[in-house]
Amino acid sequence: MAISLLNPKAEVARAAQALAVNISAAKGIQDVMKSNLGPKGTMKMLVSGAGDIKITKDGNVLLHEMQIQHPTASLIARASTAQDDMTGDGTTSTVLVIGELLKQADILIGEGLHPRVVTEGFDKARAKTLEILDSIKIAIEINRENLLDVARTSLRTKVHQILANVLADVCVDAVLAIKSKDKPVDLHMVELMEMQHKTETDTTLIKGLVLDHGSRHPDMPKRLKNCYILTCNVSMEYEKSEVNSGFFYKTAEEREKMVQAEREFIEQRVKKVIALKKKLCDGTDKSFVVINQKGIDPMSLDLLAKEGIMALRRAKRRNMERLALACGGIALNHFDDMQESQLGYAGVVYEHVLGENKYTFVEECKIPQSVTILIKGPNKHTLTQIKDAVRDGLRAINNAIEDKALIPGAGAFEVTAHKELMAYKDTVKGKSRLGIGAYAEALLVIPKVLATNSGFDAQDTIVKLQEESRNNKEPIGLDLASGQPINPKDAGIFDNYIVKKQIINSCSVIASNLLLVDEIMRAGMSSLKG
Amino acid sequence: MSAHEILTLQFGHYSNYVGAHWWNVQEAGFRYDSPSEINHDVLFREGVTLKNEVTFTPRLLLVDLKGSLKTLPQEGELYSLPSQSAPDQVEIIAQPPEEKNEFQKDIETNATLTKIYDLERQVRVWSDFLYTRFHPRTVNTVQEYQHDNENTPFDIFPLGANLWKKDQFSEDFSDKIRNYIEECNSFQGFHILCDSTDAFAGITVSCLEHLNDDYDTKPVLGFPLVQPSTNPIHLLNLALCFDGFAEHSSLFVPLTSKPPQFNYIAPNPDLKYHTSAILAATLDTLSLNYRLKSAKNTLIDVCSDFATNGRKVATASVCLPFPLKTNEDFIDCLNTWEGHLSQSVTPWCDINPDNSLQLVVLRGIPERRLKKPPNLAEKQRNYPAYRCNDLKEMLSYFIVCTSYGTKSEVTVCGEQMAVKTPFPGFFTERVGNTGDIDGGRSGPVEKINTLAGLHTGKFVGTMLETLSQELEKIKYKKYHQFVSEGVENDQFRECFDRLLDLKDCYEDNYLI
Ligand SMILES: Nc1ncnc2c1ncn2[C@@H]1O[C@H](COP(=O)(O)OP(=O)(O)OP(=O)(O)O)[C@@H](O)[C@H]1O
Ligand SMILES: [Mg+2]
Repeated sequence: MAISLLNPKAEVARAAQALAVNISAAKGIQDVMKSNLGPKGTMKMLVSGAGDIKITKDGNVLLHEMQIQHPTASLIARASTAQDDMTGDGTTSTVLVIGELLKQADILIGEGLHPRVVTEGFDKARAKTLEILDSIKIAIEINRENLLDVARTSLRTKVHQILANVLADVCVDAVLAIKSKDKPVDLHMVELMEMQHKTETDTTLIKGLVLDHGSRHPDMPKRLKNCYILTCNVSMEYEKSEVNSGFFYKTAEEREKMVQAEREFIEQRVKKVIALKKKLCDGTDKSFVVINQKGIDPMSLDLLAKEGIMALRRAKRRNMERLALACGGIALNHFDDMQESQLGYAGVVYEHVLGENKYTFVEECKIPQSVTILIKGPNKHTLTQIKDAVRDGLRAINNAIEDKALIPGAGAFEVTAHKELMAYKDTVKGKSRLGIGAYAEALLVIPKVLATNSGFDAQDTIVKLQEESRNNKEPIGLDLASGQPINPKDAGIFDNYIVKKQIINSCSVIASNLLLVDEIMRAGMSSLKG
Repeated sequence: MSAHEILTLQFGHYSNYVGAHWWNVQEAGFRYDSPSEINHDVLFREGVTLKNEVTFTPRLLLVDLKGSLKTLPQEGELYSLPSQSAPDQVEIIAQPPEEKNEFQKDIETNATLTKIYDLERQVRVWSDFLYTRFHPRTVNTVQEYQHDNENTPFDIFPLGANLWKKDQFSEDFSDKIRNYIEECNSFQGFHILCDSTDAFAGITVSCLEHLNDDYDTKPVLGFPLVQPSTNPIHLLNLALCFDGFAEHSSLFVPLTSKPPQFNYIAPNPDLKYHTSAILAATLDTLSLNYRLKSAKNTLIDVCSDFATNGRKVATASVCLPFPLKTNEDFIDCLNTWEGHLSQSVTPWCDINPDNSLQLVVLRGIPERRLKKPPNLAEKQRNYPAYRCNDLKEMLSYFIVCTSYGTKSEVTVCGEQMAVKTPFPGFFTERVGNTGDIDGGRSGPVEKINTLAGLHTGKFVGTMLETLSQELEKIKYKKYHQFVSEGVENDQFRECFDRLLDLKDCYEDNYLI
């Protein structure tokens, strides 16, 4: 999407003009992003010149889709996508706060204050704001209820409420399933699988694994119960190797001989698997599944199918690890001395076919420590939208677990920080205090935009919130339904500590860089590279 | 019969030009009435849509920058379901729709494509002349960099390498590779086309490393596309690119975007649309060696013979069209032949057939045009080649007689190459409608005969030496943008040294 506002001719502005240019670029990108903020932000449908559709409310996705021409705007965009890379959230807020910091600074500079003094003030304010953040954070116990609150808050800013509730449950249960005591959570152990099918609210958590492939033999069983799972990384396909290839240096007979030997070698491997299956399963109600990271050729599939074994080839590398965690057992690199204890277990393994796509479900695992979120939706762009939301939800949950704390949302943090910064400002001597005031003012952009996006007047709302905040020790936020002050704690509206912290840090740094633009120009634009 | 499937990867805008022509040419050659000599299952795959329609699309993944697709939807049209109305309360931000050119409009309405289109002027990007429809997983765009935008240059190797390091891109891309290979019953290896003088080289080399890790037994045949240039940044990218191929591919064949002089075509050397067509014709012809139904070779045979003793680089040549005159037999044509059979399409490289190893493919000429039967043969009977009984034998004999110490493998395919629109109509007046020279023509040329070769020999060493000399002139320390994106100065030195080592592999005259 080309946004004309962001697209002034890329002139090399002289230092004096550069600031003005920076501020207008920041405003431009802010205007585009504003309407995203919060659960009442508007959903955006991006349509490319070729008709590709993308639906999103996510600042990060939007920034990636935009064609940003102006270098300043793209610097801000990069800072906020970096924000997303680190914490998975807070891109919209970053853009808004940077824009607002520049606007506030512009007023002061217009009154004759040197940009350097402004940035000094910003820096003091930043340090103080971090202190305030620490004092306001709420330590939490890691339990389902608390995690659900933060997941719901995050997801409701991305998808409609009914779906957000479904996804919040799915995400929290997924993380709780793979979380082991005191070890950091590895989100890679939650597989996200898309299926273009049914509707988005059919998205579910599978306590096991879903693979995006199936068996490639018509006679293989499509559904097995009580299964041994053999996970391996062992080639079961005959391949020409460099030794037995070429047309200049070897005769056909020489090659044929080597081919024969190679084929027998592969067959021996397959027979080892079959022997193990016979030993463990024959005469019992148990069955046998092979999941191989390497290839399995039609001849080997045929041998396995005759024994009623289900075999999958070319599993993804990461699924080797996931399978071991979901089903138990270990991924084998060879078939010598195979033991029952090296195998995993699943209550049921079955295949599902959709058009040319096959899926294999490995379910009813004993204590699955790797699970799959099966994302459903009627079309590709819905699937993408949900996948993005789920990723954000998972990260919000994981951030909460790592922080062991949450921040009251709905603008409560910003209103409180504003109040305390204004008090702090009075204790600081010199002109840099003006910068502190400007910083405090800039933070209010968050509750203001939350109000505007819900159809309330920004000024009225701020006044109400500040009044309530003055009389109340607890942080006060905005109820988007009524426009009245609430205690976000009671409403279960929480943000991540790490996200807020990151926003505070990166916004101050970027805004200051843009203010000290003449110095930056001297140092060369390359120093701005993110 | 089972196909030995190949997966093709295209990295970069020019690679996609070449690819677009190549897929077009193949599809134009599909035969629906009689069996084909060519096994199209090698490069294409059969699929089914959710609506149960059967599809036949390239087994292909390509990468290009955001904004380079113009009218081509990312997912293609084949698998799309009827679009639904926009959900309530969305703000629609629509880019102005891209206008399709006349050719694309006619494809959409299933019109017969027999008009003369002014594609020379209308083609802005490769999708403008793309006829083949793709599988939804084929097209990948890099979101971080904008096509043709000087504010987001994608111009140095490490930018591409860093992109691969970002989880999402490489994860999605390698998943798609795996999805394709999982479907194959007898996967034989990879074709890789890449732009070698910009950051796409960086993505390519990272991807090569991945292929080495996950598919170590599968050969990779690389075609780095070179825009001959003296721009130091281009050359540094090229050096890193070649170095990556030398380490991680089975064999690679640099191809130039600056075509040599041909007798019967007049391409505009500045038009990508033209120059890429020449390379596509080369690749389509050359690869018949392992794409015919009768083929005994697979990629690994070609790669392992050519790459013996570390000779990872080979060169390619083409004769386009192969100039058989109307009413003339193959034997007459060879008898009056002057100079080399084909022209080099590898940069900085003159191919000398002496003391070389080569693979030659001749396509389009029917066996009946080999020579005349004895009762009508007249002069032909006096030629020593008259005793040859088929095209393959005669061409092999010709090569033996006209070169010294050469080992050749000749492949012959009777099917001509289809060069209807959207292939460029850059043939000279002397080329007839079905490719015969001086056959008279009305309307565009539809089919031609071609010949292409893959070669290795001392001349490859000469090419590497030329490149090395250019590289030595570059004060690479000056190009700090490489360093700030993670390439150390030492790395350049080591890379240059390795290219010199590679050159040394070609010193030995005795190849066989
Ligand atoms: N139910 C709610 N009521 C009021 N405010 C809310 C509610 N849920 C979230 N918020 C506020 O919305 C803001 C987050 O909005 P949003 O997630 O759209 O933007 P972001 O996090 O800055 O960027 P990103 O697009 O990357 O997520 C936070 O300030 C949060 O406190
Ligand atoms: Mg958010």
